[in-house]
Amino acid sequence: MTLKRVFSQRWLLWLVSLAALAAAYTFVSSRLERPDLVPPAEDLAGALATLLGSGVQLSGADHAEHEHHHHSSEQVETLLQEGVTLQGALAVSIGRVLFGLAVGVPLGIFLGLWMGWSRRADDYLHPLYVLARSVPPLSFITYVMLWLGHGEAHRLIPVVYAVATTMVIPAYHGVRDVAGKYVVAAQSLGAGGTLLFGRVVLPAAGPALLTGFRYAIAIAWMTTVGAEMLMAENGMGNLLVGGGLWSSRLESRSDPAVIIVGIVALALAGWAMDAVARAAGGRLLRWVR
Amino acid sequence: MMAIRIRRAAFALLAVFLLYGAAAQLLRDRLPDRVWLGAHYVENVKLLPTWRALAEEGAYLIQSDLLLQSAAVSARRVLLGLALGSVVGLFFGLFSGWVARFEYLADPWVTLFRFTPALALLPLYVIWFGFGETSKVLLIATNVAVVTLLGAHQGVRSVPRVYLEAAASLGASRSLAFRRVVLPLAFPAIFASLRIAVGLAWVTIVVAELIDARMPSLGYLLALSGAYPRVPTMLIALATVGALVLGCDALALALHARATSWMRRAP
Repeated sequence: MTLKRVFSQRWLLWLVSLAALAAAYTFVSSRLERPDLVPPAEDLAGALATLLGSGVQLSGADHAEHEHHHHSSEQVETLLQEGVTLQGALAVSIGRVLFGLAVGVPLGIFLGLWMGWSRRADDYLHPLYVLARSVPPLSFITYVMLWLGHGEAHRLIPVVYAVATTMVIPAYHGVRDVAGKYVVAAQSLGAGGTLLFGRVVLPAAGPALLTGFRYAIAIAWMTTVGAEMLMAENGMGNLLVGGGLWSSRLESRSDPAVIIVGIVALALAGWAMDAVARAAGGRLLRWVR
Repeated sequence: MMAIRIRRAAFALLAVFLLYGAAAQLLRDRLPDRVWLGAHYVENVKLLPTWRALAEEGAYLIQSDLLLQSAAVSARRVLLGLALGSVVGLFFGLFSGWVARFEYLADPWVTLFRFTPALALLPLYVIWFGFGETSKVLLIATNVAVVTLLGAHQGVRSVPRVYLEAAASLGASRSLAFRRVVLPLAFPAIFASLRIAVGLAWVTIVVAELIDARMPSLGYLLALSGAYPRVPTMLIALATVGALVLGCDALALALHARATSWMRRAP
């Protein structure tokens, strides 16, 4: 009975809304009749098919034959020429996001725990941290490029920086606000050093760290895509702006079908990563309830 | 206690200031001044400009009105986007927190926007609304709306059911309970999301301006100094962005402290 009610309420409304989203889109695109602004659904499907399958170069005859099935535009042509596929671009971006998380999260947690743990470190480091946090990570990408040259490093450094500055906050507050009581109790029972840190402080800061981590994933995606839009010759950001290298990219006619397909793919990837983090975090933090 | 903290903060800031100055002086002639810029080499680049060079450049940028003009243009976009986005986001967030049916209905849409990286919408907005003000302000507004929507929703949801039941049993109507119980209790969460949104708005605008660098703006200044490249200008533009973000955050915190002065504080 309850199950039925939940189903009828939640999932029905969810599906209705999704259908309404699709219907509204189809209506607008057919009413507006401007495929250069709001491409019809078949254009989106065509762009998706082309982007998924463009690893195989079509020969001239094949190309003409496929013309009416496959969606074609200047941006698609450029991407095809560069051999860009949706799954390939997504894999590159996911790699950058994961790298940023793998380096940035431990760095941020370390800094946050240190500042939360030691009054002295907090007094010295916090003002510097606040200053560093205020500078948007993508705005110094050119400066990093001057130092390190045009390579992978200057795309990854902003991502690592963004993730690290994000993770400092939950680690800091986790230790400061949550762990305080337990730390005093554990210390009075004689715990210290590694035991105190591994068994009291880290678990107590866990929920805050999980929330911060999920936020850090979103930040990492945003920074990665931004860095790729600015200066990368691969990845999802590059796919969105239509290939080529960064100067005068938006001059060429962009294809909304490709962009919409890219945005939906990014949203799905971000959602999937968040779901994984939530599930893994829920398992790790089972004891909290 | 406070005096020690201030002294230590001052010491840390001074130490960084002096260390940078010393490093810039020491490395002035040792750092390579030929830099590979993607397609070609650029000569005569000072990677670490001295404080003196920075001060001269800063004076020039202020005198020529370039810096203030850029900051004003960027700040205007941020404020417009913030105002527009937070009104929409707070309205829908409060509504979806209060009316469960609407939450389920809005869920797919919110999910789509929530997991779309903020900057990915820029190419689409450029197609729809052209280059210039509209696409940038709307980009900020979209991101701000998503963040504040989630904050307001969470805030309304975190109100304990007991409070609502108590209000109802005392005869409060639903609208009265909403105004006098839900809104004040949701305020901290709403405010926290607004504070995040302010930071996000600045990040978004600077990068949007970098990608589409046309008008005088902070992103344009960064792009311009990156194209030559002219490191002192770049560093001053970076510092200006940082100072503006810091200022906005401090302002937001001060407003929050004022608005919630009725609450009991943790020691």
